[in-house]
Amino acid sequence: MNAAAKHYKVVLGVIGSDCHAVGNKIITSVLEQEGIAVVNLGVMVSQDEFIDTAIETGADAILVSSIYGHGEIDCAGFRGRCIERGVGDILLYVGGNLVIGKRPFSEVEALFRDMGFDRVCSPRSDLVDIAATLKDDILERRYAGEPMRITA
Amino acid sequence: MLPAFSCNLSLTKPPEPRPTPMPFDATLPLENKALSRDAFEQEREQTLGGWPTGADVNFEEGVRYQLDLPPEKRFSEAMRKADETGATLLQPRAGVALLQEQIELLTGLQDVCDVLPTTIDAYTRHNRYQEADVGIARSREAGRSLMNGFPAVNHGLRGCRELVEALSKPVQVRHGTPDARLLAEITLAAGFTSYEGGGICYNIPYAKSVPLARSIRHWQYCDRLVGLYEEAGVRINREPFGPLTGTLVPPFVSHCVMILEGLLALEQGVRCITLGYGQAGNLVQDIAAIRSLRELGEEFFSAAGYEGYQLSTVFHQWMGGFPEEESKAYGVICLGAAAASLAGATKVIVKTPHEAEGVPTLAANRDGLKATRQMINMLSEQVKPTSAEIELETDMIKREVRAVLSKVFELGEGNIAVGTVRAFESGVMDIPFAPAQANAGVLMPVRDDHGALRVLEKGNSPLPDDVLAFHRDKIDERARSEGREASFKMVVDDVNAISDGRLVGRPK
Repeated sequence: MNAAAKHYKVVLGVIGSDCHAVGNKIITSVLEQEGIAVVNLGVMVSQDEFIDTAIETGADAILVSSIYGHGEIDCAGFRGRCIERGVGDILLYVGGNLVIGKRPFSEVEALFRDMGFDRVCSPRSDLVDIAATLKDDILERRYAGEPMRITA
Repeated sequence: MLPAFSCNLSLTKPPEPRPTPMPFDATLPLENKALSRDAFEQEREQTLGGWPTGADVNFEEGVRYQLDLPPEKRFSEAMRKADETGATLLQPRAGVALLQEQIELLTGLQDVCDVLPTTIDAYTRHNRYQEADVGIARSREAGRSLMNGFPAVNHGLRGCRELVEALSKPVQVRHGTPDARLLAEITLAAGFTSYEGGGICYNIPYAKSVPLARSIRHWQYCDRLVGLYEEAGVRINREPFGPLTGTLVPPFVSHCVMILEGLLALEQGVRCITLGYGQAGNLVQDIAAIRSLRELGEEFFSAAGYEGYQLSTVFHQWMGGFPEEESKAYGVICLGAAAASLAGATKVIVKTPHEAEGVPTLAANRDGLKATRQMINMLSEQVKPTSAEIELETDMIKREVRAVLSKVFELGEGNIAVGTVRAFESGVMDIPFAPAQANAGVLMPVRDDHGALRVLEKGNSPLPDDVLAFHRDKIDERARSEGREASFKMVVDDVNAISDGRLVGRPK
């Protein structure tokens, strides 16, 4: 991990009772290569575990994965829980196979944006592109309202 | 916002995970001996108390119910006949939240397959029955299943029997449950005639922090229950889950798990075992894998002194990532169908053109089965291929398995249950990409230039030197042809290769 990684810190995990570990290991390796520090909670992570870790580590974003189909149930109320815990404006990303069955991605995206997720990633999203967007979003939020934008 | 989340305020907040593992006394020694009837009965009382529906289970009544099932609804019979005639049976995966939906789904599948499944949802797999109740309620509100399987414990004995009675073919429980005791009690008493899983294959790839000794012990209970049915004249089929993480698992890794779980099951009185393997994609290696699996099973089971058991094999069509386009997905499905038939597997588990999207519709499931049926029908009369390459791969897998298992037996000092726990602790057994903390996760596979799976990083796996040299030569051949070093990047390319439209993850 290079020095720039300290600029960006994210909490990563697979939510609920989902035990799919392969993508999780690959996402970690790509984000770290792109200079993002990853606190990886692995599989079967609860909403509170994500939020606890984000608070403890001062992370910029929470990245939620779900592939087994229960994402719609497991992610419900996530933003509300962040607000309750005092980190209401943290960046929330979600990605994977998020719902049961084959549904148009635009529908899935709208569903999860309604739940308060800032970005909804499809399984086809390119991880390097996501890393770039993530860094932009982190800086945007960190320096929001400040007169001078800092770019990294 | 969809109505599912706005109807009932009390349901808008997600339930906190509330794992309810059954108590297990970790100080109990882990033995490889059939559980005594007294110990079993004591544990049963506790097990049935794990959720209110457990109270409806009565073993003697369950035996009577099973004995009354017609032979065409017995899994062991279907497997026996297929084995005798050299047929390959077709089985889908299927599970939804609600009972009526599940009945509709399986009755909609049974004319295009030979044996039926009921896939259990992920909450039940982790004994989170309260959350399964919420999932059922939300699915009712939404008017469609929001769960990835059938919560059989919550539906209870009566719900499960209603399902079994609505069907004309044998039904198997398919899941991924480290502590599957209550699920086994309910579903077997309800007339399911086959039970998938095992203490290793349903822990290491399916859980994060369940101690291996505990899941092995809990599966000894499940196997003993099946043994008790067997002794009462009811043959229940048992099937360890071969594909493990479904991600580039070399055949020897899963074969070792299959044989250990077979031995553990036989000790508890199980007499009908189907050993599994997940398609790797290289046809020569896949044929060699199924052939060596059966031969190794016979070798190790008879060497351990077991006899009078019924052995068969199951081939799982590709368990990794699928192409999104349905036409391409059919290509993957058909290669798996061909491999299963040419290898002579007793059963094939079928994927669907919706695989890339998750849980399929009934129509997609039927389409996967029909494509597979067409392939199998065209291949089943053909002579099974033999070649020097298939012989070499078969021999290689056998040598790998014997080397690893002899180390496991040595570690166990005569107790294979303990040997298994120690083998995972020391990395002698190591499953690629598994989430469990009990797994070393050092062993790393990669494809060779022909797409066969080889060992890139052996970890602490005790493979013979000349076998390792064989793996290394094969990987070097690929590295040369791609003009790059073999590395984790190459492994990631292989993980994505099939969904990207090929077998080997070549540089773009």
